[in-house]
Amino acid sequence: MADYLLGKIEEFPEGKGRAFRAGTRTVAVFRSGAKFFAMANRCVHKGASLCEGEITENGTVVRCPWHNWSFRLDNGQSCHDPQEKIRTYEVRLEGDQVILCA
Amino acid sequence: MNEHSGFDLQKAEAVSPDPINPKIRAMEVIDTDFHFSPKWDTLRGYLKEPFKSRLFHFPLGSMDYNPEPANEKPGIGQETHGTATTAVDVLRILDQFGTDTVILNPGYNRPQAIFNEPVIAAIASAHNDYLIKEVFPVSDRIKASLMVCHRDPKMAADEIRRVGHHRQFVSVFTSFSALFESIGTAKFDVMLDAMAEHDLVLTAHSEGWFNHFTPLWTGARTWIELFGNAPAGNCMAHLAAMICQGMFDKYPKQKVIFQEGGYWWLPDFMLRLDDFFMSSSGDIALVERKLESGERNLRKMPSEYVFEHVRFSTQPITIPKNRKHFAWMLELCHAQDLFCFSSDWPHQTMDPANWVVENPDCIGEEMQKKLLSGNARKLYTRI
Repeated sequence: MADYLLGKIEEFPEGKGRAFRAGTRTVAVFRSGAKFFAMANRCVHKGASLCEGEITENGTVVRCPWHNWSFRLDNGQSCHDPQEKIRTYEVRLEGDQVILCA
Repeated sequence: MNEHSGFDLQKAEAVSPDPINPKIRAMEVIDTDFHFSPKWDTLRGYLKEPFKSRLFHFPLGSMDYNPEPANEKPGIGQETHGTATTAVDVLRILDQFGTDTVILNPGYNRPQAIFNEPVIAAIASAHNDYLIKEVFPVSDRIKASLMVCHRDPKMAADEIRRVGHHRQFVSVFTSFSALFESIGTAKFDVMLDAMAEHDLVLTAHSEGWFNHFTPLWTGARTWIELFGNAPAGNCMAHLAAMICQGMFDKYPKQKVIFQEGGYWWLPDFMLRLDDFFMSSSGDIALVERKLESGERNLRKMPSEYVFEHVRFSTQPITIPKNRKHFAWMLELCHAQDLFCFSSDWPHQTMDPANWVVENPDCIGEEMQKKLLSGNARKLYTRI
């Protein structure tokens, strides 16, 4: 695991996702209000890019752009199937900078 | 060291990931089910009179209950992923998904439920003429299913004979649901005669919207019941009629591709038909085609007709978590020979082709090639 600088907070539009290459991983980073979340970009269903997904449920869930599979932003847990989960990563803020640990 | 931030960190690169597996982009992909929906104003320009002067809007088939509004995402189940109205749209989407060749199906399924057959037939002719004039010339990667008014087989036959010679039409589009009479009955021989003249595949595509008019499905309330479940039973009914009523005996070269009716039910279906055929086939002599030919029974076991005449498009693929189960299901369904890849773009359950190459423990390289293009090339002689 390593820390990666993603950019300034203002570069992340509210309620949207962006994807970053962090080493060999592609990680989707979402801004929901003052909070940031990160998870593996690939949907476990059929491989869609979750960074293109819609944030719903008052900013707590990302919904896959292809087939609406929904995952909690904070822990990657499927909203419907306890056995399905997306790997999540830590995101922290230092000043106005967004840092990913992946 | 990042000079601008003051942090001693490596900067992550912002990317726009391609969700399509690179292996897919390196292989030939034929998409056997992609919905094309020309704009009404465009189609109207191709309508013949008096329809052109009298039809101001696209006529919608009516329905007594449609669960669509209960889904939050707009357009769900229809154009969820976009709308292709021109050849340029189609080519852009093919490149986006790594598809080489596409078979366009008319996005306008609903007219089959307008109980005014001349209106359906007129729209079908306009749709086909638009394809010939403005879509096919743009790229040979684009093929299509002929739109017809299949509920009037004579009208369908007239349309097939009018434009079926065009080499970029590779099949005839029909819909199956609980509302429509089974395509397997002798009533459709008029249409099949015309198809045989042009070596066209019969596409039988699920039409879920109209089940609700039937007593059984009037009881359905949910998206899952009407769109997730109903098509499989309807598909089985239509396929059983084709086999048991001698369609393939009368039309020994006719090929059929079923779309969106599922297929994991196939092993039980074939075993059951074969078993009943062995014990109780006496009334087969009484179906119209057998009365016409004087034959007393089918010429083959029911399952043999499936292997020789029927293929299934793959969307929506459902993959069990247990790897052994997936491998067994593929084998039991003879997927290596019977399945043809489809995306069903742009509908909600659209499948990109990733799954074909991302399960190599269950789908080896040879089978990947057959699913993605080989089986479709064998099925559609015009590709």
